[in-house]
Amino acid sequence: MDDDAITVVLVDDHRMFRAGVRASLDDAFDVVGEAEDVEGAVRAVHELRPSVVLLDVHLPGGCGGGGAEVIAGCADLLDETRFLALSVSDAADDVVSVIRAGARGYVTKAITGPELGDAIKQVAGGDAVFSPRLAGFVLDAFGTGAGDVAVTDDELDRLSAREQEVMRLIARGFSYREVASALFISIKTVETHVSAVLRKLQLSSRHELTRWAAARHLL
Amino acid sequence: MSTSPPAPASAEPTARLPLRRPRRGRVLGGVCAGLAAHLGQPVGIVRLVMVFATLVGGAGAVLYVWLWITVPAGDPVGAALDQRAVAMSRLAPRLRTGAADLPVAEIAVGLVLVIGAGLMIAQRQGHSLDANWLLPALLLLAGVALAWSQLDAVQREQWLMRTGGGTPVSILRLAGGVLLVLVGVLLLVWQDAPPASLLRSAAATLAVLIGVALALAPWWLRLVRELGDVRAAREREAERADIAAHLHDSVLQTLALIRAQSSDPEAVARLARAQERELRGWLYEDRAAPGTSIAQAVRGVVGEVEDAAAEPIEAVVVGDRAPDANTDAMLQATREALLNAVRHGAAPISLYVEVRPEAVEVFVRDHGQGFDLAAVPADRLGVRESIIGRVRRRGGTATVQNSGERGTEVHLALPAAGGEVG
Repeated sequence: MDDDAITVVLVDDHRMFRAGVRASLDDAFDVVGEAEDVEGAVRAVHELRPSVVLLDVHLPGGCGGGGAEVIAGCADLLDETRFLALSVSDAADDVVSVIRAGARGYVTKAITGPELGDAIKQVAGGDAVFSPRLAGFVLDAFGTGAGDVAVTDDELDRLSAREQEVMRLIARGFSYREVASALFISIKTVETHVSAVLRKLQLSSRHELTRWAAARHLL
Repeated sequence: MSTSPPAPASAEPTARLPLRRPRRGRVLGGVCAGLAAHLGQPVGIVRLVMVFATLVGGAGAVLYVWLWITVPAGDPVGAALDQRAVAMSRLAPRLRTGAADLPVAEIAVGLVLVIGAGLMIAQRQGHSLDANWLLPALLLLAGVALAWSQLDAVQREQWLMRTGGGTPVSILRLAGGVLLVLVGVLLLVWQDAPPASLLRSAAATLAVLIGVALALAPWWLRLVRELGDVRAAREREAERADIAAHLHDSVLQTLALIRAQSSDPEAVARLARAQERELRGWLYEDRAAPGTSIAQAVRGVVGEVEDAAAEPIEAVVVGDRAPDANTDAMLQATREALLNAVRHGAAPISLYVEVRPEAVEVFVRDHGQGFDLAAVPADRLGVRESIIGRVRRRGGTATVQNSGERGTEVHLALPAAGGEVG
């Protein structure tokens, strides 16, 4: 194992899934530990100080907060350790609560080994990882209409026109590279937009409004 | 662009959030915030009405206190989701969010009151008494209020107990309340110099009893409320178990089918994908009543195509509303576009549907070489008629874009019935 391998801790309550992820990651990653519940995860992350934690959204233990609770328990390490949510659930509540707790991205468990590797590298490098579905949640939370566009840069409750555009392309299945070429901007700029959206998702209270609207519709 | 189409609101059931006092966004007891959520009105207006009703005759204050006592605290949205029929709700538990905050403010108020009581006793021994019945009465009221305030904290305490961090906050609060009531009653009864009459001591006993009963009443109320909750929870649990049994049954059958067809990888993939979709739906999705949700209809179409073609489709649907007259055309065009992508394109296939009040936009994208629309022979009805013609007849637009490395994308935009895409 070479020294500059990215250290990873796997947190998931299914042993078979952990084994599968371990097998699918190549030499660029060093899986230094595993955990299967909230308490074990918080302990493992504090002991092992990995660069990336692959975190299941639904976990036993703790107060029932699952992955979000693990991140809250590791709040003191958020500068050195990045969390990537990995979930079989693609329900908006689940994913958004882990992102708001501080995860840098979200991928589904259907992801292939190489794609997961790329996502881990991106998160380790400080970038945000958005799957089409997460982009969909963001658009749902912040609105897609022309009136939902932020006028100033410091607005937390609305996306800028460019951010909305980037999110829409990601939701349509475009990779960052494809987004960059479609909008004639650099990949770095795409990453900047995505990070800004992640920040808004974590800080704004717009997602609660969506919850209200959704609940009203479902009743 | 015509004027905005009629809002589909009338098609939706006029649902109300249940009356709860939310913890977030409350000023005093959360009564106005809860009322606003329940009535679907802005909080500001409800507060204004409440203040106005208080200023004019004081009815607002009475209503407020009454609602504070009788309406349980909680998240209206969470309560609404809990009240949905089990068969329509997801099976997987929701993540619990929000930190356990200790009732610091209430403890502080209690402390101040207890200290106040101590000061008053000291003052009485120092023979300097003014307002010798007003203050005790105030104290008594405060004690009762403190005891009642625990009704507020039922959920929070249940939460604390479940986490194993159960602090005896409720006991503390009750003891504080009883202590204050006792002090208040004694101060009231033993005015100035005590002429120890029988009548007065009887009154004192009665007053103490009433005071204690007042302090204990919330416990009784809480007990009754919890009993009802427990019963409802048990019924829901039984219903959930039935659904889970049905699900396990269907998974078993799928596994048996997979084993029987293990030599046919395509059939196995198709069966596994269909089962995955069913389980995912039951576990993680709240279902809308049939015919009320475009998003749900789109998911149905995706399921059909996946079953027919054994090819996974990454589907993202943003927004939702009730279907209208144009929705069927949109769904059929989407189905054709997906089938086209599955047949002639290359994986991965993505579907993005954006539902807005005035229009629905659909993007179907695959990574194949694509096709040139102009070069499609006129006799091939597939794309020309079933996708593009169908959408254009309804006043929408349909385009096919293909650009080498970014694959092929079909874009459909369809106005809501009665409108036009601008």
